[in-house]
Amino acid sequence: MTINTFVAGKGLLYRFDPRAKLLTVVLLCIWFFLPVRLVGLYTVVGLLILLGALNTGFSHILKTFLSILPMLLFMVLFMPFNVRNGESLISIGSFTLITAEGLEQAVRLAGRFIGITYACTLLFATTVMQEVMLALRAFHLPYKAGLVVTLAFTYIPFIAESFSQIAESHSLREAESEQGKRIFQRLKDLVPTLTSALVFALRSIPNLAMSLELRGFGGEEKRSSFKDLSSYRHPFTHTLLSCIMLVGFWVLFRVK
Amino acid sequence: MQNALSITNLSFTYHSYGEKACERIFDELNLQIKEGSKTLLLAPFDKGKTTLAKIICAVCPKYFPGTLSGNIEVFGSDLATVEPWQLLSVCSYVSQNPQEQFVANSVEEEVAFPLESLGLCRAEMQERVDTALKHWGLDRLRTSSSQELSGGERKRVLLAVTEAIDARFWILDEAFDDLDQKWRDQLKEMIKQGNKTVLVLASRYLAEFDTLFDQVLLLDEKKIVAPAQEQLLCRFSQLCQDDLPNPLAAQVCTPPSVRQLVCTDLIAERRRTSTLEEACFKVEVPHFSLQSGELITLVGPNGSGKSSFSRILCGLDGYLHGAIKVDGTPLSGKELSKKVGYLFQNPDLQIFLPTVNDELSWSLRRRRDLKTEEIRKKVAHCADLFGLSLSDTPATMSYPLRKALQAAVYYLLDRPFYILDELDSALTYHTALTIIRDLRQHGAGILLITHDKQFAKRVEQRTYSIEKGRLCEL
Repeated sequence: MTINTFVAGKGLLYRFDPRAKLLTVVLLCIWFFLPVRLVGLYTVVGLLILLGALNTGFSHILKTFLSILPMLLFMVLFMPFNVRNGESLISIGSFTLITAEGLEQAVRLAGRFIGITYACTLLFATTVMQEVMLALRAFHLPYKAGLVVTLAFTYIPFIAESFSQIAESHSLREAESEQGKRIFQRLKDLVPTLTSALVFALRSIPNLAMSLELRGFGGEEKRSSFKDLSSYRHPFTHTLLSCIMLVGFWVLFRVK
Repeated sequence: MQNALSITNLSFTYHSYGEKACERIFDELNLQIKEGSKTLLLAPFDKGKTTLAKIICAVCPKYFPGTLSGNIEVFGSDLATVEPWQLLSVCSYVSQNPQEQFVANSVEEEVAFPLESLGLCRAEMQERVDTALKHWGLDRLRTSSSQELSGGERKRVLLAVTEAIDARFWILDEAFDDLDQKWRDQLKEMIKQGNKTVLVLASRYLAEFDTLFDQVLLLDEKKIVAPAQEQLLCRFSQLCQDDLPNPLAAQVCTPPSVRQLVCTDLIAERRRTSTLEEACFKVEVPHFSLQSGELITLVGPNGSGKSSFSRILCGLDGYLHGAIKVDGTPLSGKELSKKVGYLFQNPDLQIFLPTVNDELSWSLRRRRDLKTEEIRKKVAHCADLFGLSLSDTPATMSYPLRKALQAAVYYLLDRPFYILDELDSALTYHTALTIIRDLRQHGAGILLITHDKQFAKRVEQRTYSIEKGRLCEL
């Protein structure tokens, strides 16, 4: 009932200390909300995508982008209409449809969304979950809280995987005479698929709880750890390097 | 000698969430298992084997609510006072459905997780993990995640976990299912040689069971009985309806027209993303053919590519080279999905509507050539044929009925070809054969994937074998 988000590889990110990676992701998420120029924001997003392509492969990067595309489009398409301030770009009569500020905010929002998505995806794609857990524990997060966090990050892809399996099975049930479907029919078909995925996920919760207890989770005795982070020898250097880069980008791209 | 398990007057009924009360599963059931003994408990599907296993592990009714009465002791400890995690070093459970037991993200982490709970030192954990993975042929898959494993590989992971924990009492629920012959022999040897108390729960008497157990029991009429073995097997056969004539024997299959599904020089690749070792798996099919009315079997070891080939054949996955033709015309994936019906092993992935009536009419309502009255007639006839009640809710139906519903849905689609993935894995032979008979009524060609040689013998006309991704006709 859990799904691995790890993509095997040998690139630079795989050798980077998980503690430093975790901290960098948190700092990056904050960085994206600092007042930086658009060009700076997209330079950092571009670098993240390049780093991802070099480490996990272009197909993984593309797959990640496609998975967020519907939500991205939804946000970007509606954002310009919500912002009424600034120079008018498109207007119908006296009614302003899109302003320059609205457009800029939509582009900025898209940049932030893509950036945060890639930062988190790269963390989980280049670090095995047990090392993510050890990194969380290094920051003094209790074991149970760490397990909940890591389980959540593997349970969400599990639901996504169930959704795609159910969608596949539904596609196999289409009538032979059915031709290309219209958008309305596609949206209508989403309802039973989503319902089944939800029911499937809900039904799996007692099984997950059962399995965790049968594997000894819940005991009061202190657990030992199969892995440690001793093979990563330069946590301080890696953390420092990340901080320097982020401060450098801030100095370079901040709004003056 | 101490009893490993002692159950006295156990009664259990699941809580009902609907208007209809659930039927009692056990009624004043008694069971004693001596320490170190090997016990086989036979019961037809859906008669409470898995529930009994979960009760012994103390997770039912905790996570699967119901009313329980009676006394259960595991190695002298009253289960009413024990939490499931306290049984970790005492009792290990291998579930019938391996997917439901995975908690970690890789094979290696899965085996290590309970050892961490036991608080073992790293060196000992490493040794136990390495030994168990090597023993179950999983060494090269240690970083693979569960979704990239085949059903048999998943079952082997659970057996490796059981071996690594090294508990005193093993409960193996349909543990031989999904395993190919090599691993069945290994499991048999492990049960025979070890000093553990073993309880195997099975819904089919396999040839591997001969001379393996100290006692063979039967779950009959909500109680456990232990008549002489010959009498027990005879009664079990009756309960599973195996004494009835083979439903396929009398069937004369005359398809209205002969259609042919042919694959030639097919090459496809599958990638495991979570491991660098064995990252690429190749499926090669020099020639495969299936025609209307034919019933052929596909056999092969765990992870040999049976499901990968099936997914290609029904258009869910693509391929690099070769062609798949129906009646001489090469078809795209989308076109294939409307010619080849694929019944997944897990019916719950293919059932999603509130009632049987909704399920059966879903595909028919999307056809423009059918009127409401025609749909109603077809649905009623189909429900009758498969023994379904139109007002039933699929989510609360028994497993064999859900499987029958899944088949009924495809029956109405009237595909010229069907792939049945491990149809027999949770059904009696008679139920599985009846489903095959019904699907063949209109002359469909059927490809049946199975691990069970006894079942294959009852149906096969031709057999294909697949090993390390290469398919050939036997």
